Amino acid sequence: MEVACSQPSSQLDPDLAVGLALVRKARRTRLIETLKVGTVWIALLILLTLGLLQLRFDPQYVFKHAGFVLQGAWTTIWVSVVSILIASVLALFGALGRLSRNPIAQGISSFYISVIRGTPLLIQIYLIYHGLPQLGQQLKALGYPELARLLTLDAFQAGVLALSLNYGAYMTEIFRAGLQAVGHGQYEAAAALGMTRWQTLRHVILPQAIRIIIPDVGNQFIAMQKDSALVSVMGVWEITFRANRLARKDAKFVEMLLVAAALYWILTVVSSWLQSRLEKRMAHAYER
Amino acid sequence: MKRLSPVLIVLIFALLIAACRPAATPPPDKLAEVLARGTLIVSTDPAYPPQSELVEGAQRVPNTKCTSDQRTATELAGFDIEVSKEVARRLGVEVCFVTPNWDLIVAGGWADRWDISIGSMTITPARMEKLYFSQPYYTTPAAFFVHKDNTTFQKPADLSGKRIGFGAATTYEYYLEGILEIPGEKFEVVVKDPILRPYDTDLFALQDLALGDGVRLDAVLTAQPTGASAIADGLPIKQLGDPVFFEYLAAAVDKAAGKDPVPLIKKVSEIIQQMHADGTLVKLSQQFYGLDLASPAAKFDLSALKQW
Repeated sequence: MEVACSQPSSQLDPDLAVGLALVRKARRTRLIETLKVGTVWIALLILLTLGLLQLRFDPQYVFKHAGFVLQGAWTTIWVSVVSILIASVLALFGALGRLSRNPIAQGISSFYISVIRGTPLLIQIYLIYHGLPQLGQQLKALGYPELARLLTLDAFQAGVLALSLNYGAYMTEIFRAGLQAVGHGQYEAAAALGMTRWQTLRHVILPQAIRIIIPDVGNQFIAMQKDSALVSVMGVWEITFRANRLARKDAKFVEMLLVAAALYWILTVVSSWLQSRLEKRMAHAYER
Repeated sequence: MKRLSPVLIVLIFALLIAACRPAATPPPDKLAEVLARGTLIVSTDPAYPPQSELVEGAQRVPNTKCTSDQRTATELAGFDIEVSKEVARRLGVEVCFVTPNWDLIVAGGWADRWDISIGSMTITPARMEKLYFSQPYYTTPAAFFVHKDNTTFQKPADLSGKRIGFGAATTYEYYLEGILEIPGEKFEVVVKDPILRPYDTDLFALQDLALGDGVRLDAVLTAQPTGASAIADGLPIKQLGDPVFFEYLAAAVDKAAGKDPVPLIKKVSEIIQQMHADGTLVKLSQQFYGLDLASPAAKFDLSALKQW
């Protein structure tokens, strides 16, 4: 074995030659399968295009004005990325709360999840943008003008806060599952080494849990890119806002809706690809 | 560790509060704040052309004082936008726009995110609870339309007892039912006991009227510009007599603003009166609607609203 590894000449070792042939064959089979799936995709894309062409719509308008909508893609991505990062932090604390034996932490965490998951995101956005400043005014009347200013968020901040809170609640369950999936033996081993609970979490549990959590966070990120469309109600010029307002200007609703849909689709295809690469990297540690 | 956490929370709060230092002595009112800042922040929802719409590929105004989340004068277009620019110019400040949804604008409670709405808002008693209104800068006149072939109707009063179409739950329905109240306006309901024919939208009523004189409807009550654009689209109808009432469209400020908004709305009213007097608004109305919708708004008696 050691000899074969140090000398990569297959002639010397017939077993290695057989192995390499097998690998080549497997690779070929996979390529053929990918090509088959790709063909189906192309056929479906053509069918979808043919179907969409039956709608009353003006392709020239789409080409001329897609650029304006595209400028909103950066805003969409930026809102989503910032929100998913904050949501991950919230979810981590939420999950720690869920798993803790402290009744206060558990209560806060479960209450948060219940309220946020039980109400529509759009209403949360309105409440944060329109309602929070009113709470601020009350606090101002009580003599806390600084808090009032803190609670008066601009459209972007309000959108990020709403998306973070909302996704944080859903992701709490993902983080909880991830933390629980780490074997109990790991806790015991850490305890045997004399680690404190914080050290155990920081150096033993989290690094292993993250590997389990990341793919699901990717899924949430993909969902969030589309939910970020709701931020348009506050006048953030992202994809949906630009498409909708342009459509109203020129009465080209089908055209602009299709442009927006296509952009979101492309965004999520790219995100899925990045996610699968990340997953592969994460899986390296367990490869033999 | 467990003991520490409440202390930590208090510490974080204290830090947060300390981090936001109070601003230098705040200006006494909204007008002074606008003048000191050098920008007038106007809310407009660019979902309603020709009042307000987006401009594609626009460059921001160079060296603008507007913040990055605000839009500059070049990025939007329309009748409301032109009026906003002119109001800001006469105040001697730069105009900046924000674009929240219409429902967030009429809801009031703007939390000082913007100074004023110049967004074709109809003055209504419900909105007056949350907002102060300026002198209206133009109007939507309501007028009766009849079929082109009709010769028996000479004036709106001739329509008493006839079948009249309108959009359901609009001001036109309230007028025909005799329950319409418009702040600051007195008018007489000249059509007695009409047969009410409500439609989903005014446009469907106009379509039915176009079927022929008296086929389904004898007349339609709707906005004059709506009827005018239907005629321009080739519908065989005509306007009957003068408008029967006006909806007044004005600028508005938030009653719950952090600083007294009354001096600002009074100053803006003054500017709008100037713009009526020197013909600016009539010219803009002609440019965007092809009609003079501005003149009746100049005669509106703002003091009759008893806002302050």
